[in-house]
Amino acid sequence: MHHQTFIADRPGFPFSAIVGQDKLKMGLFLNVINPTISGLLIRGEKGTAKSTAVRALADILPSIEVVKGCPFQCDPNAQASLCFQCQSRATMGEKLESVKRKVKVVELPLSATEDRVVGTLNMEHALKHGEKKFEPGILAAAHRGILYIDEVNLLDDHVVDVLLDCAAMGVNTVEREGISFSHPAKFTLVGTMNPEEGELRPQLQDRFGLCVQVEGITDPHQRVAIVKRRAAFEADPFGFTKQFEAESVQLSQQIDAAIHNYGDVVADDDILFDIARLAIEAGVDGHRSDIVMLKTAKAVAAFHNRKQVSMDEVAEAASLVLPHRMRRLPFDDVLNMGSKKVG
Amino acid sequence: MQTRGTRTDIYPFAAIAGQSQMKLALILNAILPAIGGVLIRGHKGTAKSTAVRGLAQLLKSQNGDASLTELPLCATEDMVVGAIDMEAAIKEGKKKFQPGLLKRANGGMLYVDEVNLLDDHLVECILDAAETGWNRVEREGLRTSHAARFSLVGSMNPEEGELRPQLLDRFGLSVQVEGETDTALRVELMRRREQFDNNPGEIISGFITESRSMSERIEQARGLAPKVTVPSHLLKFVAEIAEVNNVAGHRADLAIERAARAHAAWCGRDVVVVADIQAVAPMALLHRTREQAPPQIPPSLPPEDSEDNAKDNSQQEKEEQSAPNPPQEENSEASKSGPVDSSDTPDASDEQTTDNDSINPDEKPDNTTAEKEDSPKEEHVFKVGAPFSVKPLVSDTDRHRRTGSGRRSRSRSANKQGRYIKSTSRRQNGDLALDATLRAAAPFQKSRRETMASTMAVHIRESDIREKIRQRRMGNILVFVVDGSGSMGAHKRMVETKAAVLSVLMDAYQKRDQVAVIVFRGRNAVIALPPTSSVELASRMLTDMPIGGRTPLSAGLGRMSDMLTQIHRKNPLSRPIAILLTDGKSNAALGEGPAHLEAIALAGKVAQHHRNVRFIVVDTESPGAIRLRLAQKLASALNASYFEPENLRAKEIVNVIKEIV
Ligand SMILES: [Zn+2]
Repeated sequence: MHHQTFIADRPGFPFSAIVGQDKLKMGLFLNVINPTISGLLIRGEKGTAKSTAVRALADILPSIEVVKGCPFQCDPNAQASLCFQCQSRATMGEKLESVKRKVKVVELPLSATEDRVVGTLNMEHALKHGEKKFEPGILAAAHRGILYIDEVNLLDDHVVDVLLDCAAMGVNTVEREGISFSHPAKFTLVGTMNPEEGELRPQLQDRFGLCVQVEGITDPHQRVAIVKRRAAFEADPFGFTKQFEAESVQLSQQIDAAIHNYGDVVADDDILFDIARLAIEAGVDGHRSDIVMLKTAKAVAAFHNRKQVSMDEVAEAASLVLPHRMRRLPFDDVLNMGSKKVG
Repeated sequence: MQTRGTRTDIYPFAAIAGQSQMKLALILNAILPAIGGVLIRGHKGTAKSTAVRGLAQLLKSQNGDASLTELPLCATEDMVVGAIDMEAAIKEGKKKFQPGLLKRANGGMLYVDEVNLLDDHLVECILDAAETGWNRVEREGLRTSHAARFSLVGSMNPEEGELRPQLLDRFGLSVQVEGETDTALRVELMRRREQFDNNPGEIISGFITESRSMSERIEQARGLAPKVTVPSHLLKFVAEIAEVNNVAGHRADLAIERAARAHAAWCGRDVVVVADIQAVAPMALLHRTREQAPPQIPPSLPPEDSEDNAKDNSQQEKEEQSAPNPPQEENSEASKSGPVDSSDTPDASDEQTTDNDSINPDEKPDNTTAEKEDSPKEEHVFKVGAPFSVKPLVSDTDRHRRTGSGRRSRSRSANKQGRYIKSTSRRQNGDLALDATLRAAAPFQKSRRETMASTMAVHIRESDIREKIRQRRMGNILVFVVDGSGSMGAHKRMVETKAAVLSVLMDAYQKRDQVAVIVFRGRNAVIALPPTSSVELASRMLTDMPIGGRTPLSAGLGRMSDMLTQIHRKNPLSRPIAILLTDGKSNAALGEGPAHLEAIALAGKVAQHHRNVRFIVVDTESPGAIRLRLAQKLASALNASYFEPENLRAKEIVNVIKEIV
């Protein structure tokens, strides 16, 4: 499954060398701190280097414990969500050996077929042995990691369905090609899109916990810095990476600390009521935004090493959680030109 | 065979705050599966699937029910109905049936999330089984049948498109779920959910008492339900409700009656009272009243009952919250496995359509829309002009394979994108369906093994090869380009135009077409609706479209061209239809020259550039003595089908689309 992950023969562009784009970076950090925030949608026009930050993210991702050899990278400490194999091994009294490795970024290419995404019948095994065996797909690889989709708005509709199905329960259920199989698949969904090329299905949009709008950088100093750093990186990737190593390490440590502190962050009742009120006033569908806002506010606090959620954190969370969920009347544009009529 | 589950912690049903209608419908259906299933409609993030899974978990752990069987959207037909057991055939040379999801669901609950997105063919397989309680399989040289009694629960987000009325009607009850707007309740929801995400065990054990008393109450109601009687005057009342709400057919009556019995049992009574009927009738009517938008319920009640309304409602609420223990009744039989109305049993012989590749079962004129025409009640919904029955826009059997494949044309996906729904022995594109090929080859393995020499375990011959039939949900894309300027409003042409558009939309909605709307008025053109399968949105926006301003036809053409380019980029094999509703006048140019000439010139370029697109121009010029017929010029520049104002009956437009598709 090597082709799915960003395994480079040379170092990737270091995350800490990315100029500006603070909101985008924050959106990614918060998802790393609490993966159940469940994703980041990055909207922006062409040429805003939306994907650079995601690809560089691997740099600062924390390590997790996985069951050795498990194709679904089960968490040995989460008894309730083990895959079938690990489950039966555990039931047999076997001690599951674990290894530590970094959280992975797994890319879902637009050309991926549904079979490839959910998993399929292992052809070789079927022909050689006359037996059915499940060949895990991209969703299996993405479990406990980041599932990255560039130009997510152009994704095939059926693949979107599958993602929605999976995101609802954190389980990938396969009932196809003679195979009946399910395995855990909880992932952080990170997508980029250029809104000019079409909108996202609202339902999928809602699955992205957070959303940021990326603008092209207009500050001339920053622009120069971007070009310079890019050139320096191209000329000497190893040297360049070394230059930013200290910063990267510091950032990783800050995130690790935030992950550690997250559980201690408290939000008073007042804060909960403010969050609920914000969501109601924004007129968002359903209740997902409330819980995401709460988690995001806590993650913001944890990132800044605070123990208490204040309105500052809530405001920052709201700006990431609410805008893409506000019920966008499709005729808003039209109405802006004339009389306001539709309620 | 690998049937393997993944355990996850399930949010307890009893811990779901609010959403009392949804919970009640699910409970009633669990008490008396003969109700015929529940469809939960609602926006995203309203805990629809959480509730279904939670209840199933409750019933399983407390009442010993079968587990919930979930049907994922990407399921293939063989996995749903069952197929030949390939492993047994290869290894033992035996023709063995490997049961599918319908068998697994027998005696329990079958859940389809996003049921409106499920392939039609699968929906029909499921509904047939749900109705007859029986699954008959005839495929791959195998002929078998087995009981398939399950209660069907579906959930859907209407934003993503509707279920066809015929399918809607098959669900016993349906509820509309909205987000809660009470702040305190939302806070409670938030708190519990966060706690669950942090530590699921805490919530699960925290609600164990509630869960137990709820499951006990369900169990008692199950025992009581078969004994519940319905007084004859209330049976009449049920029939009247159905009649008043204009829901023809016996399904609504039956659903109300059964749900009322379940409700009475849930309240610990062995006789149905008016309050039971009032509580359940809205659920039985919601999806059956024939309006495009969800109807406003509750039903109108006969005068003699109206005085009880307030009291009954509040009483019901109280009952729901306090869950009093109903009188203990012992009945081991209960009605757990869904008894099915035998009068509904359809002819089994027409159920085994193994290859409906080109035959469209929906080609019959859709009688539900037909009835709309003579129902005066519908006027307020479509006050923009009378919609009418649309003849199905079915093409001749499509000989050209292309990707966009909805109901309209039944053409199948030619590239390997799209959903694999079933297989065929016809060889066309080398998209090998390995599973089906193996199943086809399986029965011959023993004899072949003796005659062929190979290191492979499986011997496959040319004749075994099966290819995948894939389907993409999107049908055609209809792009409406609408003149929203004053020149149309002045002549009240907009009313006719909207009626035409709505009729096309209603048809599109049933055919799963996508629609997009571009409006030009004032100084520019805007995408009022990006391509969507939500015809509800499209119709809402078109009916509420403001009128006025100048007419920037060129801008409209430009915007349309951009959108067509995007559509093409997303799916190069699509053949969109662009419908321009205009009188051809243009008085706001993009450049310096005369607006009208500019538009005509632009139209020519657009037609050149988008050869995959079919254009239709509907002339909205007011009929009368002096006519400019500018739209006709536009049509010829676009190489479009043209519509005279005299013919501006929506029916005609639909027929034109029919010719094109
Ligand atoms: Zn595992």
